[in-house]
Amino acid sequence: MHELGVVIEVVKTLDRIVLENNLTEVESIVLQIGEISSMIPKYIEDCFDVAIDGTQFEKTKLKIEVLTATALCRPCNRVFKLVENEGKCDCCGGNDWELLSGKEFLIKEIVAC
Amino acid sequence: MTEFKILTIKESVFKNNNERADLLRESLKKDKRFLLNLMSSPGSGKTTTLTQTINRLKDEMKIGVMEADIDSDVDAHTISKTGVKVIQLHTGGMCHLDADMTKQGLDGLGVDECDLIILENVGNLVCPAEFDTGSSKNAMILSVPEGDDKPLKYPLMFSICQVLLINKIDVMDVFDFNLELCIERVKKINPTIKIIPISARTGEGIDEFAEWLRTEVRNWKM
Ligand SMILES: Nc1nc2c(ncn2[C@@H]2O[C@H](COP(=O)(O)OP(=O)(O)O)[C@@H](O)[C@H]2O)c(=O)[nH]1
Ligand SMILES: [Mg+2]
Ligand SMILES: [Zn+2]
Repeated sequence: MHELGVVIEVVKTLDRIVLENNLTEVESIVLQIGEISSMIPKYIEDCFDVAIDGTQFEKTKLKIEVLTATALCRPCNRVFKLVENEGKCDCCGGNDWELLSGKEFLIKEIVAC
Repeated sequence: MTEFKILTIKESVFKNNNERADLLRESLKKDKRFLLNLMSSPGSGKTTTLTQTINRLKDEMKIGVMEADIDSDVDAHTISKTGVKVIQLHTGGMCHLDADMTKQGLDGLGVDECDLIILENVGNLVCPAEFDTGSSKNAMILSVPEGDDKPLKYPLMFSICQVLLINKIDVMDVFDFNLELCIERVKKINPTIKIIPISARTGEGIDEFAEWLRTEVRNWKM
């Protein structure tokens, strides 16, 4: 499964952050996932439970924020929501645009001590 | 009383792997060893193409192959018949190789004296595109039966490769595959990619791919 490999990468990164910041416990983690990033939040959640099993993060809670995909229409010089408008500029209906956001896969923040 | 605080991270999940991949690439460059990462869907013809290509190059350079197909060693066995060094990597069901696993593979293969190392990545067009293995160059195979619309469905994979082999052109007539349209779609995503139509069965186009590899291996050493 696609998501599992990525979630294992999240746990590896957590390991590093804990080490770098001398943390003892991570209460929660917030991931930001772009709307068109090819990751499905529900799968990420399921994989997270599997990936943290038996690690120091067994009690860590996961929160996912989905980032809206936005694009800049070149002719209109205007920003619009990509998915809502089915890939076409909501003003001119064209598809000459540049992606601004929506493909992210970020660790936004953690709550830890 | 422990006090929890919020740490802002704002870091891409792929950053870790990207850094390790860059380190691996640097060390390969320093040691003058060229690593090709070969990717495709299952059954596109990676192993068959490799066998053909290796036979054309093995007398002029030292070659090693890492096979990463999921939990089977059929491909490693096939490649070993060419006489080059080959190792089977077991990914334990994982859908891709990351830089760490690639490095372990290289250590296992003992590639010190190799000029060219080829990694046959796990058959999958999604995950391997997102994990940099540390390879010198990326190649992918799209085979005719898969259809000419694959570039539309998996743009990331087409965007990270320097060369695309369009395989099984011997059966082009049987399938509704528009080569020109396919090339146009790929070039839109990746204008600089080199596209070589091949048939791993008849050997057509393999010379051109071997020549591309020859040049890349030479340039890597400079
Ligand atoms: N007709 C035709 N069949 C091919 C060609 N290349 C590979 N095949 C067949 O496609 C199947 C899968 O090939 P293989 O090299 O194992 O694919 P891999 O899974 O990507 O390594 C095998 O049955 C091959 O004989 C080709 O150029 N033409
Ligand atoms: Mg194979
Ligand atoms: Zn517009």
